[in-house]
Amino acid sequence: MRDVLLTVIRGLGFGSVYALLAVGFVIIYKSSRVISFAQPALMLAGAVAVSYLAGPVGFFLAVPIAAIGIAMLGWGLERTTIRPMIGRPVFVVAIITLGLDIAIRVVVNVFIGPNVRNVGDPWGLSTVSIAGLPVQERYIAMAVVLVVVGAGLFAFFRYSRYGLAMRASSLDQETALVQGIPVGSMTALAWAMAGGLAAVAGAFVGTGGGVDQSTWVIALKALPAIIIGGLDSIGGAVVGGLLVGLVESFFATYQGEYLPWLGQNFSLVSPYVLLLVVLLVRPYGLFGTREVERV
Amino acid sequence: MSSTRTRRRVAAAGMAGLAVFAAGCRGGGEDPADGGSGDGDITTDVGVTSEACPDAVNPDNGCIYLGTLSDLTVGPFAPAGPVIVAGQEAFWQRVNEAGGIGGYDIDVTEYVRDNQYNPQVTNQVYQEIKPDILALAQTLGSPPTAAIVEDLEAENIVAAPAGWTSLYLFQDAIIESGPTYCAEAMNGVDYAVETDGAQSVMAVHYAGDYGGDAAAGASIAAEANGIDFANVETTAGTDNQASAIAAIVEQQPDVVVVSTGPADMATIVGQSVAAGFTGTFLGSSPTWNVALLQSPAAPALQAAYQLLGPWAPFDSDTPGHQAMRDAAEAAGATPNEFFLAGWAWSYPLKAALEAAAENGDLTREGLYSAASGLSSVDYEGILPDGSGDYADGADSAAVRVTQLSSPDPSASTGISVTEADLAGPTAEGYEFTEPCYEAVDL
Repeated sequence: MRDVLLTVIRGLGFGSVYALLAVGFVIIYKSSRVISFAQPALMLAGAVAVSYLAGPVGFFLAVPIAAIGIAMLGWGLERTTIRPMIGRPVFVVAIITLGLDIAIRVVVNVFIGPNVRNVGDPWGLSTVSIAGLPVQERYIAMAVVLVVVGAGLFAFFRYSRYGLAMRASSLDQETALVQGIPVGSMTALAWAMAGGLAAVAGAFVGTGGGVDQSTWVIALKALPAIIIGGLDSIGGAVVGGLLVGLVESFFATYQGEYLPWLGQNFSLVSPYVLLLVVLLVRPYGLFGTREVERV
Repeated sequence: MSSTRTRRRVAAAGMAGLAVFAAGCRGGGEDPADGGSGDGDITTDVGVTSEACPDAVNPDNGCIYLGTLSDLTVGPFAPAGPVIVAGQEAFWQRVNEAGGIGGYDIDVTEYVRDNQYNPQVTNQVYQEIKPDILALAQTLGSPPTAAIVEDLEAENIVAAPAGWTSLYLFQDAIIESGPTYCAEAMNGVDYAVETDGAQSVMAVHYAGDYGGDAAAGASIAAEANGIDFANVETTAGTDNQASAIAAIVEQQPDVVVVSTGPADMATIVGQSVAAGFTGTFLGSSPTWNVALLQSPAAPALQAAYQLLGPWAPFDSDTPGHQAMRDAAEAAGATPNEFFLAGWAWSYPLKAALEAAAENGDLTREGLYSAASGLSSVDYEGILPDGSGDYADGADSAAVRVTQLSSPDPSASTGISVTEADLAGPTAEGYEFTEPCYEAVDL
């Protein structure tokens, strides 16, 4: 039982980070119908920014500063490389984001250098005893951040003018334009928010082990999460991220013991197995909008 | 009319042919003396010119061009590649400052290309620089090298590798340095059995000819010592180590041989110890990075981790280390074990060039046969005497001595030797007849 609970906690911890990343993907998808493959690079850039800022200003101030910085970078990317592509096939835009990802990572790698960079978080690998269970503090921090950021996003989309405008332009851009909503600015805002979320996720990915040039790969864990949750559902992204974390954690702990015939490291594949199962039952993901096409 | 035109064409083609031939000889420097450089009796062909190198240390010398295929931007070893390149540049700079070799300076900066750790890219950039280089000062990674090794052998191009897989022992064009991951792991397991009475060993490793090679060595040593062996393969990424950590904590082996990248190793060690693992860890040479001493895993690393290194770390006291540190300081380089590696990997090529110049034959073929004929290389104490015996086959070329180091915050690269010149009975008695990871079924 103890092992099961620890596995759940680890799964929810990492799942929270995947969820933050997944929400970034979904926000961009909702605004421009494109999956941004630049998110891994923005996550890495955020983590590296935190690793530089944590020394002078401390981790807790470094994270919001990095998030704002990367949000501005995301905004700039949208204005310079995505905006001119309006009206082009989304496939083209997706390929552009792939190029952006590589370009940003090459630059960020210069700042990482040959060493592992530490993000200067206060938790390290320390544990706290909860009901007799040695729970790593960073997993708690990850979950808390997801709750806080999630609540903030919910309030933003539900109650703020900009949130409403973003929702409107994601529903129907032309109608939104007619209503006086600056759709282009909403897309830029979406990119900025996704950049900020990626930076926060990056900071927490770096806790415990640090950041090196290969850390960007972790952001790709968000891909099965957004498909599982439904590409256009922010709530779905959160659930998808948590599910990916849980499934991975359970397979990592128990598969070797109970399903050894699946081979080693099946936990890496497990999110995609879950994805297939979900898609078989619900082709638009758990919370995705069913597309209705008139033929 | 028609026959006149034909004759003209033949003449033009003939002239063009001559021009091509002359261009082919360009810089070939059959008589380097006419360029005012080189020993007049040295035969040369590709990649050697009688003109001085760009920014030559010795403007009166000719120039030997060596190519570099390294992981410089997006590959998994991009953190290491540029540092290795810097180490090599410092090495050859010193050679040039000492007068060069046979009347030639050595240039390793003109033909540095990014192989992105990708076999296709490697082949492409290799083909680009092949017409201009005598040999390769570096080819990083065995999968990329595998893409060009047949061509290297066919064209008699000697190459210094960046890596320690036992596969290199069996590739004739490759002049490798130091013990293989396989021999390192054997020595580590022998040491754990001898000093700590270890009864079980687990290899936690990446797949392939790095991790697989080390795991094979650990398996061979476990069998030789009659102790239990467990094989746990893992993949890169700090978020992907949970399975390996679960296996370590559950099976509680006495010693774990880790062959991953530094961040993954720190995750495995840190979290296993945090979860109550009480055994020890031995890391293959690429597992260490000085920044880990600032990581949350530092206390666990200092308590439970030791590094199996091919040579003593950066601060060590040998003439080769001293020269390397002086060169690093002159180049303004930060202390780094990969700088030392780039430096140390260059000695065999220097020895081969010297032997070829001595033989009066700095052609590719001349260099190839000089390299294959080396029975020892002077590493200035960085490797034991007798290392670099390529003349007598793979088994003789295999170095079997390892340096065991521990984390040491006072050392400039965070690591210092705790047990020098480790050579266990398993490695001493093992005959390398094929790459370890192919010899052992994990």
